[in-house]
Amino acid sequence: MDAGSSAFADDDSGVSKKTVQTIDLRRHAPFWISLTAGIAVWEIAGRSTSAAFMVPFSETLVRFWQLVMGGEFLTQLLDSGQLFLTGFMLALFVGMPLGMLLARVPALRIGIEPYIMILYATPMVALIPFILSMMGFGFVPKVLVVFLFAVFPVLYNTVEGARSIKPELIEVAKSFRSSEWSLWREVMLPYTLPYTMTGVRQAIGRALVGMVAAEFFLSSTGLGQLIMSASQNFDTGGVFASILIIGLIGVGLMRLGLKIEQHFARWRQ
Amino acid sequence: MTESAIGISAAVATARKPSPLVDRLLGTFVPRLIAGLAILLLWEFVVRVFAPAYVAKPTTVVMAIPRVITDSAFLAATGATLAAVAEGLAIALVFGTIIGLLMGRNAMFESAIRHYVNGFYAVPMIVVLPLFSLWFGYSSATRIATIIFAATFSIIINVADGARSVPREYLEVARSFRSGRLRMLIEIVLPASLPYLLAGFRLAAGRALIGAVVAEFFISVGGLGYYILYNSRSYHHNEAFVGVLLLAAFGVGFELLVNWNTRRFMPWYRRDEIEN
Repeated sequence: MDAGSSAFADDDSGVSKKTVQTIDLRRHAPFWISLTAGIAVWEIAGRSTSAAFMVPFSETLVRFWQLVMGGEFLTQLLDSGQLFLTGFMLALFVGMPLGMLLARVPALRIGIEPYIMILYATPMVALIPFILSMMGFGFVPKVLVVFLFAVFPVLYNTVEGARSIKPELIEVAKSFRSSEWSLWREVMLPYTLPYTMTGVRQAIGRALVGMVAAEFFLSSTGLGQLIMSASQNFDTGGVFASILIIGLIGVGLMRLGLKIEQHFARWRQ
Repeated sequence: MTESAIGISAAVATARKPSPLVDRLLGTFVPRLIAGLAILLLWEFVVRVFAPAYVAKPTTVVMAIPRVITDSAFLAATGATLAAVAEGLAIALVFGTIIGLLMGRNAMFESAIRHYVNGFYAVPMIVVLPLFSLWFGYSSATRIATIIFAATFSIIINVADGARSVPREYLEVARSFRSGRLRMLIEIVLPASLPYLLAGFRLAAGRALIGAVVAEFFISVGGLGYYILYNSRSYHHNEAFVGVLLLAAFGVGFELLVNWNTRRFMPWYRRDEIEN
């Protein structure tokens, strides 16, 4: 494999490399042009308005660098990351098995499905005040918020996938005296996983909203606190810097979710 | 052999019995009713045994409903939130559709703003609240701005997807009849991407509702979200929970309305395609 590809490269390296480069350049040119234009617009808008309103891009970068150098940013990032991962993993480890259980027991699925759909469509933020007054300011209520935001997309999509399993498959497995364990492992899991991953992609976005909401409205920590304190101090540069960072994290996580979904989508049939 | 014979006779029996209603009742309605009652009972039991008296439980929430829905403060709050959501959604729909159509049909425009649209869509909408409250003050303008921000990008993305997937023949026919570009956009591309627009609108409505509630929490402007916040802070959990029920009803209502419209007016459109 390796030898073959190197031989091919030796064959006509000069020409092919150059064309690849120009194609690459042409493909990415619009992205870089639009990025530069956007930054220019931001810079001009920031310079021509009051500093309390908007801060130019260059100043945002400077403020961001100060936050990184001060060590403030890293500790808050780790804090938020811990919250996000705990809540998200909990949602995955509850939502997936529960969804598959509903798939295996049709009576249960038919009974509970409408309620899952209702909870999936309910704005979970509305529950934050109740969680606050019942559980207070610790780490646990915040994890609960992230969990509630993330679990229903996972559950809803897993059940959706479970409905797509053909009953014949389970019948065949049973008639070959397959054990319950291997039935789950070899029929249920591969069939529901692509759907679960669609849920995971949605859950990543929702969990991120839940994380910031928990940090805003419950005890103020993490990246949420970074924005809040900057806004309370009228440090507009700090607000822009933290929004930029959370935005970039959001974009990165969204891409990751899409990659995961596409990876498993190949199993879908 | 015998099994299949029984199966056939059973099929014949059910075919002869002209009551699909009874079947449906026994097949779905009864399990759902049982499950719902079980959930309510469990909730009631857990709260009664483990939680303090002020925590909402089904019996006390039900008793609070008549009191709350005749309360003028509650009605005013609901009206304020709904009006803001409707206004924000209308603005988002107009701008989102225009930008989306242009994006789907113009490659230059698309490559210029695609990354910004996707980027703003991925930003958790709640982080813009401190900035918006700085810009618009602690007023209902911040709420409208948050709703618009939450709703616009999902409409743009979906309309652009729809405009991109308009069958080429439609446009070729229009072009050969010398139709103008604007007319083509409005009379062919827009109707053809309507199912996508509806799917985007459904997403946007859910996000707009969340945006409204979050904004009300954050800037304490009067509305359903603030009603919930205020009442749960003063330990009137039952009253506050009626507000949550209403929000859930709106969320589900939007969903059902859009699904029904898609099925009713665009039956040729496959359901599972819109779902994602």
